[in-house]
Amino acid sequence: MAKRLKANERRASILAVAKVLFADKGYNGVAVDEIARRLGVSPAVLYQHFPSKEVLYEEVLNHISTQRESYIEAALNGPDDFGSVLERMALVFAGKLSSDSDYLRMEMRAALEDAPMAQHFFENRWKSFSDFIEFYINELCQSGQLSHINPQIASLMFQGALREVLYTKVILKTERYTHFTLSDLIKFMTQQFLKSIDYQKT
Amino acid sequence: MNIDMELDARGLNCPLPILRAKKSIAQLATGQVLKVTATDPGSVKDIEAFCKQTGNELMQTNDENGEFVFLLKKQ
Repeated sequence: MAKRLKANERRASILAVAKVLFADKGYNGVAVDEIARRLGVSPAVLYQHFPSKEVLYEEVLNHISTQRESYIEAALNGPDDFGSVLERMALVFAGKLSSDSDYLRMEMRAALEDAPMAQHFFENRWKSFSDFIEFYINELCQSGQLSHINPQIASLMFQGALREVLYTKVILKTERYTHFTLSDLIKFMTQQFLKSIDYQKT
Repeated sequence: MNIDMELDARGLNCPLPILRAKKSIAQLATGQVLKVTATDPGSVKDIEAFCKQTGNELMQTNDENGEFVFLLKKQ
């Protein structure tokens, strides 16, 4: 028999359990009954708080967005050239996600499911990188500091590499890269990316 | 009120509005006003933190139908 909880505690426990299950099985792979069973309550209790699985999933995403990383420190503390800010942003993002592998796994699952709302949410989380990289590469190209670089492709390259680093260290924990810390991998990867676009710090 | 410079940061996610505000305000003289328009809801907290960190005055924050308008006075 589940312990009697206050409404806000019950709501928080439902969101926590639902997040783990959505990460394990994706939106389509989880039934409300299973979430209720995992919590030790009846589905009716769950429906008192969330009228549908869709609303519950949305609330899990809303809860995640309230804990979103802030790039203020990355933007203001330290050298403000493109490469330095990009490295600090990647470190902030990785630091946040390394303590939340369920989030990353939810994102991976959402990519395979027909769920536009979820896909839009996860895409928006990466938008800080696409906006930042595209804007600055455009500016650097206009000032002649970079040439023959397509900002959108460069942005895609960086995001792809960052995702792979996160999957490697946070989800797969690949043996080949165990001698690198997550921060070191992020720094090496960022340096490699900057070299590949021929970026020179000014 | 005189607005000395305007920055359109609509459609951009953090930290770009902050970085662009930093660049814009650097071009102003003390006492001049920068108007920033943004759509990222996170920009409300970010602009506040920006002003706190840089010592500039956040004179006004308005939510105008999903667009956030900030008036910053350079200190």
